[in-house]
Amino acid sequence: MDDVAQPKTDTAGRARGRSAVDRLRNWFPLALLLVLCLGFGVMSDRFLSVNNALIVMQQSAVLLVAALAMTFVIISGSIDLSVGSMVAISALAASALSATLGVWAILPAIAVGFLCGAVNGALFAYGKIPSFIVTLGTLVIFRGVVLLYTGGAPVSITDRDFLGFYTGRTLGVPNTVLIALSATVVAAAILNQTVFGREVRAIGGGERVALLSGINVNRVKFWIFVLAGALCGLAGLLQSARTMAATAQLAQGLELDVIAAVVVGGTPLTGGVGHIRGTVLGVLIIAILSNGMNMTGVDPYLQNIVKGLVLIAAVFLTIDRSKISIIK
Amino acid sequence: MLSARRISKIYGTTCVLDAVSVDFHPGEVVAIVGENGAGKSTLLKVLAAIEPRSGGEAMLDDRAYAPRTQREAERLGVALVFQELNVNRAVSVAENVMLGHLGDYGRLGFLNWTRLRADAQAILDRIGADFSATDDIAGLDLGQIKTIEVARALATQPRFVFFDESTAFLNHDEARRLMGVIRELRSQGIGVAFVSHHLQQVFEIADRLVVLKDGALVGTYAAGELTEDRLYELMVGRDLAGGLFPPKRGEQGGDTVLSVSGLTTQGGVGPLAFDLRRGEIVGFGGLKGSGGEAILGAVGGSVKRSAGDIRLRGTPFRPKSPQDAWQAGIAALPGDRTGEGIITEFSVLENLTLAARPRRARAFSDRRRMRAMADAQVGSLGIKTQTLDTPVGSLSGGNMQKVVLGKCLAAEPQILLLNNPTRGVDVGAKSEIYRVIRALADKGMAVLMVTEDLPELLALSDRVMVTRKGTISQSFEAGADLDEEEVVKWMM
Repeated sequence: MDDVAQPKTDTAGRARGRSAVDRLRNWFPLALLLVLCLGFGVMSDRFLSVNNALIVMQQSAVLLVAALAMTFVIISGSIDLSVGSMVAISALAASALSATLGVWAILPAIAVGFLCGAVNGALFAYGKIPSFIVTLGTLVIFRGVVLLYTGGAPVSITDRDFLGFYTGRTLGVPNTVLIALSATVVAAAILNQTVFGREVRAIGGGERVALLSGINVNRVKFWIFVLAGALCGLAGLLQSARTMAATAQLAQGLELDVIAAVVVGGTPLTGGVGHIRGTVLGVLIIAILSNGMNMTGVDPYLQNIVKGLVLIAAVFLTIDRSKISIIK
Repeated sequence: MLSARRISKIYGTTCVLDAVSVDFHPGEVVAIVGENGAGKSTLLKVLAAIEPRSGGEAMLDDRAYAPRTQREAERLGVALVFQELNVNRAVSVAENVMLGHLGDYGRLGFLNWTRLRADAQAILDRIGADFSATDDIAGLDLGQIKTIEVARALATQPRFVFFDESTAFLNHDEARRLMGVIRELRSQGIGVAFVSHHLQQVFEIADRLVVLKDGALVGTYAAGELTEDRLYELMVGRDLAGGLFPPKRGEQGGDTVLSVSGLTTQGGVGPLAFDLRRGEIVGFGGLKGSGGEAILGAVGGSVKRSAGDIRLRGTPFRPKSPQDAWQAGIAALPGDRTGEGIITEFSVLENLTLAARPRRARAFSDRRRMRAMADAQVGSLGIKTQTLDTPVGSLSGGNMQKVVLGKCLAAEPQILLLNNPTRGVDVGAKSEIYRVIRALADKGMAVLMVTEDLPELLALSDRVMVTRKGTISQSFEAGADLDEEEVVKWMM
């Protein structure tokens, strides 16, 4: 008997009718991005220019790298609320050591991020505390460390080497953009090509299945948060280069933009699925939304409302309700 | 009398039910049998208005019966007990029984608890429940929870009650009690229809058998009219050459690969001792919680061992996690297919290669090798899937189970731990899975199986161990004459 297409339940039958909708859903972030570009392009003649494109990319470099971190965490079914604070504490490390290390201040930035991620990962994976709670706590703690160290005063970067490199351009493209893009390529390779990447997905798709299939779930969870921390460290460096200083308020509330970017890019909070490509689109959508609204003179107070509406609308249109029976 | 005429159900382009006509009489138990995908559940769900029908009509006592919602069907006297356990563990037994009718117990917005409890208790008494409406749900077993669901169906005062594979998650004893409840309903003049893969239950309780195949009615038979073998043939559409089970191995097993002594596990199972030899299938049977699953868990690293010794080819083996077991060449097929075995949203390929991770040194996954590995399993197990990238969740139960087995085999284990390897799988796929397991054993695989399926335990195992209250109460050596009653006696 041939039961290939046999519909034990309604899944098989509906799957076929769904594939067209699925495809539309996958294209939604790109379509939204194009609509935004066209819309702002019509409204402002300065919007569609090479210069503005570079500005958008430069503005979104920090968001992009932090969103890469969040993509791993969200695909594994967890959440990291401490990204903004990790960016701030890493930016502080970069700023404080830029005078002695110059360009190599990137190392302490990443190292601090790595350590913060290890704290998150250890408490979550081995301490068995939900990631939401752990990172809600460290969100405040890491920010507190920055406040304690700076006493509220900014730590400026004056080192010529550091500023020369990290605010410089190569072939007309800002170096920070090149760094962010390199990180994106590496993150995509880790997620798609490595055993670790497959394990991240498996844990998000079904943690118990992953555990019983011999995956060392705790270790993978730990390293997901370490990877996220290290990426936030890099984001912190990029942030310090952009502001040429570390302040106590740096990247405050960044986690909200980061989560929004990942989700708008099509990675659901339920875990198991998602991709770096979507996150890149999500970041561009968030960045272009801000940039475009600024250029077309939208009231800054109204901008937040629009951003929130776009987030909700994007999820409303892309979420696959047939796979989730209960929405919490 | 409820009579369905030429009922059809079409999903997209697939016809799931093709002009099926069946009559249901009060005070009669009808079993709906057929393979997975034959349309058994769909038939009941359509009649209970859980799913809309695509064609056909139904009459209830000479009046057109065409409910549009489940509530309407219930008002007309047709209720369905779902396969899944749908009990809310956060509220009381009484509330669960009366769920859906809580509005009838309101008074100025407050619940009339006294009346609610009394009514719920009356229904529980009617089906001879061994717990009360005020009991804590946490203390009930699956069979008792199923009873709550039956009571909930009865709260609608039905004339016909449909059971959609209600015994699938119940153990021997719990299923037996549910059979008792069904008999009770029959004696009260209620018409019962049920879907079950347990043909033993079917023969034990049904008055009439409705056989479906590929959405069409094969025929309706009086229970005494069919033998088990004849029923298999009708369901599968062909003769199961040589019966459901492959022949057992003749000679004694080879070298001992796994040796367990004095084992006690978390949860108070043990002490236990047994050996597993190369090329043999050892089956553990017993009531749920009597020890079999704990043994698999302890060997497979998912249940903590509190004392005792496990030796793998003579060397002590102390798995701290499933990972340790897999790396030692022990693959485990869990009892809950979709919750523990496979990730339904993931593709066949991803699931088949989930456990077969390359050696640790290789960080990058080799896609070509993964594909080849998955292809090999699809081929050798006969997994019916359109492509390797099809989501596993869209396959039939039998094929999903083969994917779980394939996942285990892709890791190239020497020992295979099977927890109810054919639970909720249709007869055709069952016989294929049995043949695969036997062939593996013939090639030297040592298989440790826990099953609640008695025929499976008796006919597939070379040696049978019966567990009772955490210890092995009796073991039957290879070649021993296995008598079902004798084996069951040691379980109780």
